[in-house]
Amino acid sequence: MGIARGVMVTALFGIVLLVMIPLYVPRPSFIPGFAPPPDMWPRAVSLLGMVLGLLLLALSLSKKTQAIADPEDAATIRGNTPLAVLLVRFGWSVLAFALFVGAVSLLGFLLASILLLVAMLVLTGYWRRKRVTLIVAVALPLLLYLFFSSALNTRFPTGSLLRALGV
Amino acid sequence: MLNDLLIAFQAVATIENFLIMAAGIWGGVIIGAIPGMTGTMAVTLALPFTFYMQPIPSILLLVALYKGSTYGGSVSAILIKTPGTASAACTTLDGYPLARQGKAGKALNMALYSSCTGDFISNISLIFIAAPLALLALRIGPPEYFMLMVFALTTVAGVSGRSLLLGLVSACLGLLLATVGEDMYGSFRFDLTVDMQGGLAVAPVLIGLFAIPELLKIVVFRNTETQQAMQLGDNKVTRAELRRSIKSMLKGSMIGVVMGAIPGIGPSAAAFSSYGEAQRTSKQRDNFGKGEVEGIAASESANNGCCGSTMIPLLALGVPGDVITGVMLGAFMIHGMTPGPMLFETNLNEVYMLFIGMLFSSVLLFGAGKATMRFFSHISRIPPGLMAPIVLVLCLFGIFSISNSMYDVIVLLAMGVFGFFMFLLAIPAAPFLIAFILGPMLEENLRRALAISRGDPSILVSSPITWLFASLAVFVVVITIRQQLKKAKA
Repeated sequence: MGIARGVMVTALFGIVLLVMIPLYVPRPSFIPGFAPPPDMWPRAVSLLGMVLGLLLLALSLSKKTQAIADPEDAATIRGNTPLAVLLVRFGWSVLAFALFVGAVSLLGFLLASILLLVAMLVLTGYWRRKRVTLIVAVALPLLLYLFFSSALNTRFPTGSLLRALGV
Repeated sequence: MLNDLLIAFQAVATIENFLIMAAGIWGGVIIGAIPGMTGTMAVTLALPFTFYMQPIPSILLLVALYKGSTYGGSVSAILIKTPGTASAACTTLDGYPLARQGKAGKALNMALYSSCTGDFISNISLIFIAAPLALLALRIGPPEYFMLMVFALTTVAGVSGRSLLLGLVSACLGLLLATVGEDMYGSFRFDLTVDMQGGLAVAPVLIGLFAIPELLKIVVFRNTETQQAMQLGDNKVTRAELRRSIKSMLKGSMIGVVMGAIPGIGPSAAAFSSYGEAQRTSKQRDNFGKGEVEGIAASESANNGCCGSTMIPLLALGVPGDVITGVMLGAFMIHGMTPGPMLFETNLNEVYMLFIGMLFSSVLLFGAGKATMRFFSHISRIPPGLMAPIVLVLCLFGIFSISNSMYDVIVLLAMGVFGFFMFLLAIPAAPFLIAFILGPMLEENLRRALAISRGDPSILVSSPITWLFASLAVFVVVITIRQQLKKAKA
């Protein structure tokens, strides 16, 4: 894992230094006095990150120094489950998050939270206890919704679909 | 002074004041334990109620809420690996592994003992060394601040993972993320969307980084142990464990007192610095990060050690050290008291009453912590497969309620996915968080120092204080590399 990690870290900081900073950190045409420009700090940090990434990569190439750069064994984190299965599970979770964000403007915060909670309970494998799952999935977001809207006056999005239906 | 303190004692020791402080402590513990709800929120929400109260009880209520929420943050950090406050992030390192071993009660007990010890020492220091510490804090300029934060970051990077290099990579990632938004001179950086011009708030980043990856771990790896409830089992802190931790507790309290007295540094950096120091000197150093009570003692004593001392710059100089003390400054002024050197001339009785009230609140914190512990420790009986999605929904509601904006919710979820990648690459999360919190101040002080010196970087090593912090940072790096080389050879 050490070599791949070194490459990833170097590439990430490299992209920030060479692509993101020139694009998204504009230098003002006039800088008063001796004030350092706004891109000085991000550049310094990215450069340091790139050097650290290269160091990780270099240390991972030799067996003698590998232990310093790569102290954790990647296999112990992953276990015996095939990588494809892990990627599918991860993909489902990210999809659930993305659908939640999209659903808030349509269904409202409360309903979207209930659906997300059901989805996550299915994904964690707790769905087998259907009655508990259903009670928790409906009651918890409802209680939180009531608490935050009454105690803190939070105004949660109601959702365009529900508004159109007159709910 | 002793006579004044005795008079103040008589004035504070009323049932009404005790009830107000107890309510504040309890409310603070509960709010601090809910992910997404912070001590700042608790103090801000309580501020309007203080308009109708006498000056001292109202300040005591706010102080009690602050102290309660600081301890409460550790409850969720230990039980569900979701620090209720940023300062409790360090407590997750040993608290959560201990809870997973079925020793949640032990972890909560140690957190409570250390919090109360740190808090008490902090209050005593407030009484006796407020003025000299405040004067010292005044001598700290931009170069000294910069070096102090470099030292704090190096310590965190060195202790929170198994590799200093990975810790430094994590810190760089945090520093970079902290540059998103408007800088000190009004330039916008990395503003990919309009929302990003305001930067990223600490709460969604903190909770996303610590809570969401736990859920993703359960979903992706689906270990059999995640479907089972944790056992409460071993609840008591043994005498041997207490004796072993007392040194770290006292040292942590002192670190908290000193770092709390410096405006802006805050309890998060104090907790990690204290943890680093405890790990460096402990005989059990190999057990740190795996469920070591000494680690909890070091972190909790330091973050509560800041509670009293953050009042030092506020009372002695009229300078609030953080957002909470900023709100308290408002409370003082609402009641016609202006914090600063003149406060000790014009309102000496009130100042002493505040000191005594704060000492009482340490005792009340112990009582409230013990009383709520039994209730909170039942949370550990909920299977993680059910608990993690519940925590997710709690976080979503809590984060949305802070700013009434979906932007923070998106940041929370995105940080969760990012935190999971960091876990897969074995990059520790703690240096990232501390770098993210300290990043804006680190940059601001560096740029200020360079502006003062007209671009000459030698200003960063121009005073004895900068030399002290720089040497300490180098010392930490050398010691950590030596320890890691030793381990690699073994």
